Amino acid sequence: MLFSIPTTTASTLLTLPSPSSHFSSKLNAAVTPKQIQLKLSVNPPLTASSSSSSSSRGVTDKLNNLASEFASLTEPIDRVKRLLHYASLLPPLDQSDKVHENRVSGCSTEVWMVAHIDEGRKMRFKADSDSEISKGFCWCLVWMFDGAEPEEVLTVERDDLVGMNVGLNNVKARSRINTWHNVFFAMQKATQDLI
Amino acid sequence: MEVLLPKLPSFKFPTPSYCRSITTKTSSCVRVGFRRLSSLPVCASTVNEALADPTVDSPSLGHSTRPHFPILHQEVNGSKLVYIDNAATSQKPTAVIKALQNYYEGYNSNVHRGIHFLSAKATDEYESARRKVEAFINASDSREIVFTRNATEAINLVAYSWGLSNLKPGDEIILTVAEHHSAIVPWQLVAQKVGAVLKFVNLNDEEVPNIDQLKELLSRKTKIVVVHHVSNVLASVLPIKDIAHWAHDVGAKILVDACQSVPHMTVDVQDLDVDFLVASSHKMCGPTGIGFLYGKLDLLSSMPPFLGGGEMISDVYLDHSTYAEPPSRFEAGTPAIGEAIGLGAAIDYLSGIGMEAIHEYEVELGTYLYERLLSVPNIHIYGPAPSKEVKRASLCSFNVENLHPTDLATFLDQQHGVAIRSGHHCAQPLHRYLGVNASARASLYFYNTKEDVDNFIHALHDTVSFFNSFK
Repeated sequence: MLFSIPTTTASTLLTLPSPSSHFSSKLNAAVTPKQIQLKLSVNPPLTASSSSSSSSRGVTDKLNNLASEFASLTEPIDRVKRLLHYASLLPPLDQSDKVHENRVSGCSTEVWMVAHIDEGRKMRFKADSDSEISKGFCWCLVWMFDGAEPEEVLTVERDDLVGMNVGLNNVKARSRINTWHNVFFAMQKATQDLI
Repeated sequence: MEVLLPKLPSFKFPTPSYCRSITTKTSSCVRVGFRRLSSLPVCASTVNEALADPTVDSPSLGHSTRPHFPILHQEVNGSKLVYIDNAATSQKPTAVIKALQNYYEGYNSNVHRGIHFLSAKATDEYESARRKVEAFINASDSREIVFTRNATEAINLVAYSWGLSNLKPGDEIILTVAEHHSAIVPWQLVAQKVGAVLKFVNLNDEEVPNIDQLKELLSRKTKIVVVHHVSNVLASVLPIKDIAHWAHDVGAKILVDACQSVPHMTVDVQDLDVDFLVASSHKMCGPTGIGFLYGKLDLLSSMPPFLGGGEMISDVYLDHSTYAEPPSRFEAGTPAIGEAIGLGAAIDYLSGIGMEAIHEYEVELGTYLYERLLSVPNIHIYGPAPSKEVKRASLCSFNVENLHPTDLATFLDQQHGVAIRSGHHCAQPLHRYLGVNASARASLYFYNTKEDVDNFIHALHDTVSFFNSFK
């Protein structure tokens, strides 16, 4: 079930679908459907349509955007929900692209990433995964880097997006469960290789 | 729905601070309707005179042992920890933690070499731990126990030492598709060197290794059969005694990966008549960094060294060396002394409860887990269904349709503090065979309770609802 985010205002109320009645997230407290105050930076809020006009806004701006968006979601479950929303926006990869050569190594889920450099010397990325949460990461990364200049991709530090790492905030080390980092590294490596 | 509950065992813990003894109830197993069960899983029975109230029910094994495991009493991500990832590693009772601490505080010293008091004490305790392992698996001689870093190293030891010197081109090694990577990869490496061939037994319709196919694969070309005792994914148990018999009939050896059996049930190597058996301490309430290889003494005596260094030698010259007898021959360098002693303490602890009691409890709780999991819509649990004939291990690997196990496990952890595992559980060939990339796995140990299972199932339903609401 998808829901849309109004495009024009700087701060919006995001109403989430109400979960089924026996939804209780913690042993001691029941979670009720929340209305989330979406605090954004000055840049326009995130939408599917904005993903194509990326390069004019710059990777750093989008990074700040995402970082503050996720930082405003103090409950981890809200970060999960946001990622699942973004997962639903991710266009699926062609079956022909889901091959071993495109697998992002080091992930416990299956993630594929395809990168090429276009005529305007901009990096183009596509990604997909068999896990919804990983798809959400993929969408964010593609949104940030698709259409960016190679140098911009290479200057981003992974620590800048630690807040997005759902449920695995404490795992700073490179490991199989750090899909987020692994895809990010793969994109940077692909960029490095292409230039 | 009724459940058959085990009678409460009598268990005394040898460590002074845990000398609790709970008198065995005199009744046999009693059928108790679930509706009557309150928060305490019960073993209703005749009254122990120490308890005044005849309706007070005695705690289950899980409830009575939980207090011994400090790590279980914590919150993660705002929820009480529900640790059900025991097939990955087990938690340690205070007795084991104390044993390690006592070692380092009281008598840490290098073993086998020194003359002084501390060294003598350390050596005694280290060798005493070896004898405890021997007794635990009913080996005939403590020289048949080689301490290694873990079961993986133990299998590598057999592959490189026995394998390299006994396998010829065209020789066959039989495994199943359900083997752990640690049982497969060392043999791939060695087979490549010697020109041997690996053959794999598939699963049957019950998702259990096909024993008929195993029998067919056995031939005079077979030199060794490498199989698990209990599968860490399927929860199935192989008939090791029979397999050993058939292997010996064709002149082959048998190596048993007992990582998921030794911690959970009585394993008698003489009764099973296996040639090699491996297990890891960390899955049986002992520390990490120590495991063991059991090998028949005549076999070990015929094997060349694996790792070279101190302790495994007899005399060392510049151009050659002579080697020690087993087990020293296979224990190069300073061992994990404290850890071996910790393993000994773990064996004492487990023996105090009794492996039969542990197994009985786990069969019950494992069946309960399986049955409750079936309440989750669109779930598939791998391995055979439990029955009178089929006693599953107390673990369930499963998939829920349209829900990636990693997403599931992440949510369970994040929102409910439930620790399960997701991935291929070091069994990629098995997952490929089953046609999936990954699965989720919940695995219990004797300190888990019915409440742990209930909390997990509740959390799982919540997780499934959450992800369904996004479709």
